[in-house]
Amino acid sequence: MSTPYGELLIALRPEICLVGGALAVLAVDLPKNSRSAQARLHLSVALGLLALATAYAWNLSAGVPGPLFGGVLTLDMLGQATRAGVLGLAVLTLGITAGTSRLRHPAELVAMILLATAGFTLMAVAQQLLLAFLALESASLSLYVLAGFDKTRPESAEAGLKYFLFGGVSAAFLLFGFSLIYGLTGSIELPVISAQLALTGPSPLLVVALVMILVGFGYKAAAAPFHLWAPDVYEGAPAPSAALIASASKLAGLALFVRLLWPGLGAASGNLSGAAGWLPVVAMISGASILLGNFAALAQRNVRRLLAYSAIAHAGALLLGVIAAGLIGPGALYYYALTYGLATVGAFGVIAVVERSGRCQDITDLAGLRARSPLLAGCLFVFVLSLAGIPPLAGFVGKFVVFTGALQMGGIASPAGWLAVLAIALSAVALYYYLVILKQALVVAPAKGAAPIKVPAPAALALLGAAALIVLFGVWPSLLLGLFQ
Amino acid sequence: MTLSAQYLWLIPALPLAAAAVGALVPRTGRALAAGAAIAALVASFLVSCVALVTALADPAAKLVYNFAWFDLGAGVFRLGWLLDPLTAFMCVMVTFVGTLIFIFSLGYMKADANFKQFFCFLSLFAAAMLGLIVANSLLLLFISWELVGLASYLLIGFWFHKPSAAAAAKKAFITTRIGDLGLLLGLLWLYDSTGSLLFFDGGAGVLEAAALGSLAAQVTVGGLVVSTAIGLLIFCGAIGKSGQFPLHVWLPDAMEGPTPVSALIHAATMVAAGVFLIARVYPLMQADALLAAVPVHALTVVAFIGAITALMGACIAVAQNDIKRVLAFSTVSQLGYMMLALGVGSWVAAIFHLLTHAFFKALLFLGAGSVIHAAHHEQDIRSLGGLSAKMKVTFVTFALGTCALVGVPLFFSGFWSKEAILHAAHGWDVSHLPFYAAVLGVVLTAFYNTRLMAETFFGKPRSPAAEHAHENSPVMTLPLVVLAVCAVVLGFLNTPVWPWLDTMLLGKTEVHGHSLMEGAGLMGLSVVLVALGLGAGWALYGRRTRVSATAPDPLAVKAPRLMAFLAAKLKFDELYDATVGRLNSASAAFADFLEFWVWGGLVTLLARLGEFTGLVNRETDERTLNGGFDNVSEQVRGPGRVYSRAQTGDVHGYLRFLALGFVVLVLLVVMGGAK
Repeated sequence: MSTPYGELLIALRPEICLVGGALAVLAVDLPKNSRSAQARLHLSVALGLLALATAYAWNLSAGVPGPLFGGVLTLDMLGQATRAGVLGLAVLTLGITAGTSRLRHPAELVAMILLATAGFTLMAVAQQLLLAFLALESASLSLYVLAGFDKTRPESAEAGLKYFLFGGVSAAFLLFGFSLIYGLTGSIELPVISAQLALTGPSPLLVVALVMILVGFGYKAAAAPFHLWAPDVYEGAPAPSAALIASASKLAGLALFVRLLWPGLGAASGNLSGAAGWLPVVAMISGASILLGNFAALAQRNVRRLLAYSAIAHAGALLLGVIAAGLIGPGALYYYALTYGLATVGAFGVIAVVERSGRCQDITDLAGLRARSPLLAGCLFVFVLSLAGIPPLAGFVGKFVVFTGALQMGGIASPAGWLAVLAIALSAVALYYYLVILKQALVVAPAKGAAPIKVPAPAALALLGAAALIVLFGVWPSLLLGLFQ
Repeated sequence: MTLSAQYLWLIPALPLAAAAVGALVPRTGRALAAGAAIAALVASFLVSCVALVTALADPAAKLVYNFAWFDLGAGVFRLGWLLDPLTAFMCVMVTFVGTLIFIFSLGYMKADANFKQFFCFLSLFAAAMLGLIVANSLLLLFISWELVGLASYLLIGFWFHKPSAAAAAKKAFITTRIGDLGLLLGLLWLYDSTGSLLFFDGGAGVLEAAALGSLAAQVTVGGLVVSTAIGLLIFCGAIGKSGQFPLHVWLPDAMEGPTPVSALIHAATMVAAGVFLIARVYPLMQADALLAAVPVHALTVVAFIGAITALMGACIAVAQNDIKRVLAFSTVSQLGYMMLALGVGSWVAAIFHLLTHAFFKALLFLGAGSVIHAAHHEQDIRSLGGLSAKMKVTFVTFALGTCALVGVPLFFSGFWSKEAILHAAHGWDVSHLPFYAAVLGVVLTAFYNTRLMAETFFGKPRSPAAEHAHENSPVMTLPLVVLAVCAVVLGFLNTPVWPWLDTMLLGKTEVHGHSLMEGAGLMGLSVVLVALGLGAGWALYGRRTRVSATAPDPLAVKAPRLMAFLAAKLKFDELYDATVGRLNSASAAFADFLEFWVWGGLVTLLARLGEFTGLVNRETDERTLNGGFDNVSEQVRGPGRVYSRAQTGDVHGYLRFLALGFVVLVLLVVMGGAK
């Protein structure tokens, strides 16, 4: 049987588009020219948007669903939807970049974003350990560069380096875990691994392998106790990079791991009442993240660090969605991750725009945003309330479907139920620190001499788009949830 | 040309888009906001006309389009649109009257600084009202129902710098919410018993035989049938929204809003939503009709509430002096007539009266607005007078509107629709009391309207404002003329000789009305009644007109205590203040005590605990870990290279922590699994 390269080429058209787009952006910018940095940025972003749009269109017509190329890839609803989601989030990130970036090498920035996105889309469809690892690493390497992209600020270099070191170590753990799995089952194909594990049953070595994989996963999702990089990176990285790290990267990571854990390692899940496996570990990580994220966020004075701890708390809830995905499928998790990504991109977008006309580190730097730019304040209002989970915004529906899914697993008096109750209770705590942001933006008067903020058109479009999507998905959840029926 | 039910959403969506435009343009974008609002409503009107043609092609059909909104447990929650003659007539009426009132507002609100906001709110209202009409789901209807309430709140309080307007807006919102609570409970109960909120769904809807049969077969508290109980709860919503006794108190106060608002929302459309609601769920209200052994039928309650409201509104209107308040109580009274018609079994008569009333009452309110605008916001009829010569168009159109409201025979729409209601009430076999109340109401209506006309337009001007009044610009008078024409001709759509509207609404194909002779006796009676009311009004107020603004009212001279009682609106406000208001204050004080001392203490305690935990977390996260390694890095840093900070210190700590986390997790799982 000949290797079906043609099939592979068709399935990977979005990735080809993205990589081609990245190269095109670099090539167009290569000749020495007299264009201003602003013009170069806009040209690069336009090319980048074109590449993303083409990739999106190819993704819609991706061909026959099912495993491809000998099971290396799989085209299923989760893969397709995740691809579409990360492409959309990348579009928003580019919009913010176009409006705010004053970096010296705009084409390289856009090219890195496209390369990272190609990694994300590949993560979404990978069904084999090796490809999964490669996709994850190609995305991560781009993100390390993006985090350290602003060479004029030492904080950015610091963020990039920390992210890289932390990511490198986690990747080592992950790879070690993968190799142990390979040693135990003799395969890197998820279906084969699944069948083998069902035969052999649990062993201490398997537990070590699983926890190693979960270290990699916990790092990607910024879940406690593997979260320590997040606050520093969110604080130091340029705002568009932070937006991408916090949104698209998370969505793709969760899609990859939920595919890895349930269809691949489902036989080794153990259960929540004590049998060894990865399920109790995920539950512990989830509980720790919810607790630590929410309480640590309360004490933050820096708005980016606050968003980082809120991300840790949300990671806990997302892991709860991973647990529940075994029963109700990945739809709820996807919905939560995508809408969370939209709100986070939006929040970082607002920060990016505010930063154009001054500092935006402390929460008090947002004071009087309502007077300085009603558009930014209005969008921030939607994003923060969605993060807090207020109906009718998408954040509420996301929490609702994930928590009901967890409660279905064994009622309220089961470990999953306790986690859901914990998450619901701490949502109330979370409301406090979210409202602190809104209080500064909407109630407190602006600082003396604070000028009105002009919002560049691409950023305004991206922010309004994100806000509109949050409201739309919140009011009409079936648009997304219906995909997974 | 036909309209598929799938595209019905266009009708509310167009004004909604106009509202968005109005919300987004800056305050100076007056022309854009108003233009978008009017254009959208005209477009909506055209779509509604197509919908009407479609619906009338097959009046018996219920064209529905249902779609999934979101998944709920194992099932799917669905919403939908519904097109039948009732929907279509209502849509055409709302968009047509709405367009005229929007145009009138161009002139009336010309000088207002918040002009564009006004049109934004008006469009929002129109969108919500139309959404309410096209809904095929009680939930969608309820959402729109609440949105019209919100729009009404915003518009009553449009001049919020006036404390009375702000208070009236609050009162309207809260009072109607009391009724809405009933509606919400009814909705929940209905969903609980039938598992659906769609009206029509190919046999599975709540208004279709299967669901109605099961609802009518269950008995609940007090021997009530479930369908009766749900029907009465839904009727609570209608009581609140349509200003029925005992929740009518908000409607007169709502006249604090700009007059076009009173015309559109508090006369023609929103207040009629309650009547529409009951007509829409009529199969449910009627489900208990054939059961003999029930304590009460839902429609009997509707009939009595309607009759009480009709009579009470007419009584109070006799003693009011504010031109808009007279009209407001007349609206309360006319809504009572509509409810009465619903209650005695003739929902088509109710809808007929709703449609004719919408036109002539909008006309009267706009006429009042024209007077108020010309007389520099003088609204007291005692201070007006003598306007018939100064404002000819307003006078003639107002007079036509009054004739329609009073029910002057044969040539005015109000006559035919009121006749239909009296006929239905007369034929009701449960009780004749509502009929007598309605008859008395007819006399009073003729009486107080004669008083209103005489005081406002005849005699001599009794204030400088009335002295200097002159006719308004065509942008305000033209809508009056159009509405006046409608107020006359609309009646001919449904006469006993040619009951076209009846057959369309009931979905019959052939026309067979009761003969003219059959109703002749009643018709003669009502001619006599109207003549009696007009004569009495003329004798008291028309023959010798008022000489000065402070002269006593002739009726008040004869029966001072009765008039004072009526002028105080039967003291309903005082009664509610003394009972509900007091109770509310007391419970608020108690809740305040609980809140401040008990819950507040607990929350403070929890908050402190949370803060403490947060601090501890931050300390461990940043001081111990970061700080410790920061110290190390400080020493390593040596001559102070900033760059080194990123390379050393923190990251080592982080990675150690990561490894520690890994080891702890492995140990936990292995030990947990081993036991």
